[in-house]
Amino acid sequence: MPRYASLIVAAVALAGCARDGEPLPSVSGGDVERGRVVLDRYQCGVCHVIPGIPAAVGRVGPSLDHYAQRPYLAGKFPNEPEMLVRWILDAPAMAPQTAMPAIAMSQQEARDAAAYLYLSD
Amino acid sequence: MPTGKIAHRHKAWFIAIGAVALVVLGAGAGAVILLSGAYSTAATKQHFRITYRILELGLKYSVAQNAAEIVVPDLARVADIKIGQACYREHCLQCHGAPGIAREPLGRGQLPSPSSLAESAREWPAAHLFYVTQQGVRMSGMPAWEFRISEQGLWSTVAFLKAMPEMTAGQYQQFAASSTDVDCPKPTTAGVYSPERAQIMFRQYACDNCHLIEGMVGPITHIGPSLEAWRKRKYIAGVLPNTRENLVHWIVDPKGVSPHTLMPDLDVVEPHADHMARYLMTEGK
Repeated sequence: MPRYASLIVAAVALAGCARDGEPLPSVSGGDVERGRVVLDRYQCGVCHVIPGIPAAVGRVGPSLDHYAQRPYLAGKFPNEPEMLVRWILDAPAMAPQTAMPAIAMSQQEARDAAAYLYLSD
Repeated sequence: MPTGKIAHRHKAWFIAIGAVALVVLGAGAGAVILLSGAYSTAATKQHFRITYRILELGLKYSVAQNAAEIVVPDLARVADIKIGQACYREHCLQCHGAPGIAREPLGRGQLPSPSSLAESAREWPAAHLFYVTQQGVRMSGMPAWEFRISEQGLWSTVAFLKAMPEMTAGQYQQFAASSTDVDCPKPTTAGVYSPERAQIMFRQYACDNCHLIEGMVGPITHIGPSLEAWRKRKYIAGVLPNTRENLVHWIVDPKGVSPHTLMPDLDVVEPHADHMARYLMTEGK
């Protein structure tokens, strides 16, 4: 009986937990706040829906919601921070036929943008 | 208060409160069992005998009820036992085995265990066998074959199932050897379009395991892009303009469109791809 009592307590307590499992990826050296500004300034929202950026309603590319939970990037590559930074800077180099253009931004700006995306919901 | 003289309306209240309390307690107990993980989902753990019996009977009654409308055609005319054997060999053998032939590892260690069809084929009417083969059995390893085998193929399989219990191991081997030149026929049409049929197709091709799809109940998945409101998208896979024809082309041959894509070739027949593309381009706000 005491065993089940602790189960009951545990069940109630656990009900309030967020999802468990592996920690989500994050970009080292990337600033989330600056990233939001970058995504806004480079008008990424012209092609993508981006959470937290109201003007970002584009449907040319996929929505970037729940970005951290996506196992894959651009349907071809593992979704890892370094991959994403590369992709943002020069997508055609990675996937020649893609409709996404290369973006003339700095490495740091790309890191910041990636950091923001990994935190998006 | 004098004994035995509780007012009638008080009794009614007690009963009502008691009933509500029971429901709340039951829901609470259910929540505890669910959240604590105390109920084992392991395929290695045996059911209680009563649970097993209920599930077994439940399947029988459900199939009987739902297969009642199925009209069995003249199998001698419509079905070809050699085709049925080809379908059995290609699709059924791996889980159900055959006379003298073991099932593949896939078919072992399942709960419920895929039945040895020598028995079911004798006991179950042809219409019921057809229904189970065509529609599958949820929460078991039995898939629905409706979208993978043509209707003639399904009836041929049923005809073969009826013949199989009559075979010795040697006779089965002989018969199997004589039908290696025959293939199990795939469907060549999709039937009349309906959103419900499209949804069944998505599940049959496992699309909803990688993509969120409008109107479907399934895993919340981010492996592929969401297909909700798909008609608003400008590109397919970032390379192909999003039209219905291009979408069909993509579904049928993803690697032909984008060689390194992670989307696999699911062997989708074109009429089904067209059906699903129509759904994607019309459903959703």
